[in-house]
Amino acid sequence: MSESASSPERPKQPPIDPRLLEILVCPLTKGPLEYDREKNELISRQAGLAYPIRDGIPIMLVEEARKLD
Amino acid sequence: MEGKSHTNIVTEQFGSRARAYLESAVHAEGEDLRAVAGLLQGAKDARVLDLGCGAGHVSYVAARYAASVVAYDVAPQMLAVVEEEAKRRGLANITTRQGAAEALPFADASFDFVLSRYSAHHWQNFRGGLQEAARVLKPSGRAVFMDTIAPAIPLLDTFLQAMELLRDVSHVRNYTQAEWEAAARAAALTVVATKLGRLRLEFASWITRMNTPPVRAEAIRSLQQAAPAVVREHFAIEPDGSFTLDTLLLELARSE
Repeated sequence: MSESASSPERPKQPPIDPRLLEILVCPLTKGPLEYDREKNELISRQAGLAYPIRDGIPIMLVEEARKLD
Repeated sequence: MEGKSHTNIVTEQFGSRARAYLESAVHAEGEDLRAVAGLLQGAKDARVLDLGCGAGHVSYVAARYAASVVAYDVAPQMLAVVEEEAKRRGLANITTRQGAAEALPFADASFDFVLSRYSAHHWQNFRGGLQEAARVLKPSGRAVFMDTIAPAIPLLDTFLQAMELLRDVSHVRNYTQAEWEAAARAAALTVVATKLGRLRLEFASWITRMNTPPVRAEAIRSLQQAAPAVVREHFAIEPDGSFTLDTLLLELARSE
């Protein structure tokens, strides 16, 4: 997705600094996270959870996470 | 009646008051913030975690010295205030993450400093939070906890917790110095330095900051007026309801 592809009513999420993803782990399992650029989520495969990123801020709360199928 | 989770209550309670905390003199100033600055002198490569950052006053100080600061809080509105204020102050090395103190989303030994101010009395799991702080601290790292504390005398302790709960429904507990030290030991943290202080809270702004309903503010005044002399003296309760409580700064290192 290019920078200009975002629609005016929904501004594009600011990108996540990859260096800061290095130290970020799943709060439940302390296992690694994968960044899903499409959905703008952080995926914990071990926990089966996807943590949302809102306004560039990762929401690392289990109760806010989406359960993976 | 539908019950809310503690996280929801904290988020609601603080979310709507985020700007009041940014502007609060009690929070923006203090000897403990100067102690943080002193500790971080020369730590230009340091990674810092501000645990329960609130409106970010520790982060703004730490960001002047350290390489990077992660401002971490459970309330998203607080983090929005921190983002905005960091930008305004030109502090590009502050990033924000949302989560709970008891379940940190950081790898083991990620930080040179874990700093936490006026936060632990809101945690659902005090000991769990300290254990998490110890886990994410590098072996050579330092953790500094600053908080208002409860007196060791039960009568005074109960009075303080009652006032705090009436003011803020998300209040969990102010711990005594002995409870802090025991929890630190249990988290394999050793006390390096201790500093006790006193903090005066001006009643009107203390109530306004939290948006306490009038009925509960009135209940606090009623409690104060009915309090025995020993309570009134300890908390230096003033005619307008202003009072002074005890604070603790604990500097901790990971035990060998």
